[in-house]
Amino acid sequence: MSRQLITLIVNGDRHQVPVAPHDTLLDVIRDQVGLTGTKRGCTSGACGVCTVQGEDGRAVLSCLALAIEWDERPVTTIEGVASEDELHPVQKAFLEYGAVQCGACTPGLIMTAKALLDQNPDPDEEAINEALAGALCRCTGHIKVKIAVREAIKVVAASTAAEGGQGG
Amino acid sequence: MQLPPFEYHRPASLDEALATLDRIGNDAAVLGGGTDLLINLKLRLERPAALLSVRELPELAGVSVDAAGTLRIGAGERLTDLATHPLILARHPGLAQAIRAVGSQHVRNMATLGGNLCLPTRCWYTNQSENWRGSQIPCWKTEGQVCHVIKTAPNCRAIHSADSVPALITLDARVLLRSSRGERELRLADFYRDDGIENNALLPGELITAVLIPPGRARSVFVKAAARTGLDYGYATLAGALTGSNRAPKSLLLVAGSVGTVPLLLHKPAQIILAQGLTEASIEAAADAAREDLGEVTNLFTPPGYKKRLVRGLVRRVLNDLRRQKLPDAD
Repeated sequence: MSRQLITLIVNGDRHQVPVAPHDTLLDVIRDQVGLTGTKRGCTSGACGVCTVQGEDGRAVLSCLALAIEWDERPVTTIEGVASEDELHPVQKAFLEYGAVQCGACTPGLIMTAKALLDQNPDPDEEAINEALAGALCRCTGHIKVKIAVREAIKVVAASTAAEGGQGG
Repeated sequence: MQLPPFEYHRPASLDEALATLDRIGNDAAVLGGGTDLLINLKLRLERPAALLSVRELPELAGVSVDAAGTLRIGAGERLTDLATHPLILARHPGLAQAIRAVGSQHVRNMATLGGNLCLPTRCWYTNQSENWRGSQIPCWKTEGQVCHVIKTAPNCRAIHSADSVPALITLDARVLLRSSRGERELRLADFYRDDGIENNALLPGELITAVLIPPGRARSVFVKAAARTGLDYGYATLAGALTGSNRAPKSLLLVAGSVGTVPLLLHKPAQIILAQGLTEASIEAAADAAREDLGEVTNLFTPPGYKKRLVRGLVRRVLNDLRRQKLPDAD
């Protein structure tokens, strides 16, 4: 199968990688770009552990995306969520509220929650549930995850207000 | 699960896409969002030699209203954009509810309307990996001669579970189909066939380019009954659209999804409401009458008796919701 050279823009960094048409975005991010924070789970779009953000900030299932369709399109993975010296509010809240058990689902849940907040800084309970329904924790459940997400919403809202409404 | 190898084409225009389809013919599968197609490839349910990506076709984009008031939705539009589109929310709340019931938000961010319309039928057997299926005898869909859903059936009886479809049919939606031979328009209600394998009327070389919804002010509702609200096949779904007042309804369409191999029009309950108006008593009578339309119901995921009772409950719920809903704004 012939390979084609594409440019993946992952967390702002450009990576030239040769891909076959049937290589998923997930496999290329993990095996060629070398960023393994994005997890491989069900590989059929049901579990959400492979969630990344596309150029519009929306949550995307990298196991159901062909890498060849992502030439020159920006992708954010869990490695690109924290800034140089500070964790993202969603990451901080997950730590603070222990919204983690085995941790396998955590990158997908954090990417899902971040995508939600990027789209809608003030989501109601229904919007939180709707977003989190696509990313599963199989150890325990979503109670602590939801507590952490609600906390992150407050933190983001407070910092937005402090910046005079220009944040987000 | 890994994808099998295939060739990949990404035409830049509809004409180029149709020419490519003509050239590679039946060996091509059309790639929209990929959220169902790529799973089917991983399950080895489909083995196309090539995928034709429609993501860059400008002809498949856009939501607009023409001078006559017809709403045109491009087949390449993403479900998230449609479920939150102001025009759709204002004119057809039931359609917005139905689109929002598809998959999860992650899936809707990727999936297209055209892809949902062409969703292959599913059952408990074909929804498994090739390895798993190897422990059972193959079915009609996997080159065997039995249906695992209805054992005595002479063809595939897998379930039609595309949630947008019942809602679109209640709005009398049409599909625009294009091939290199030209364009044709079909009522969506006539697009599906009562066969789990040859489930729609698409001919080789044809693409869905748009969905058209005729003008008119209707109240509309969609309800899905499933084990969970995200990422689950419905046990049953029901869409309803009503014109006229509660006392004197002019038209009512009720279409059930996920109960059979095609979306099912419920005639009896609609007749009762049209004759008696929307009242507490007529709603109960209509709900009781729903089972007369159901006929042979599969035991997929739930016993057939449960599914019949569930549809009765959905009819009651949809009619009550329609009765309370305000008439959407004028076009």
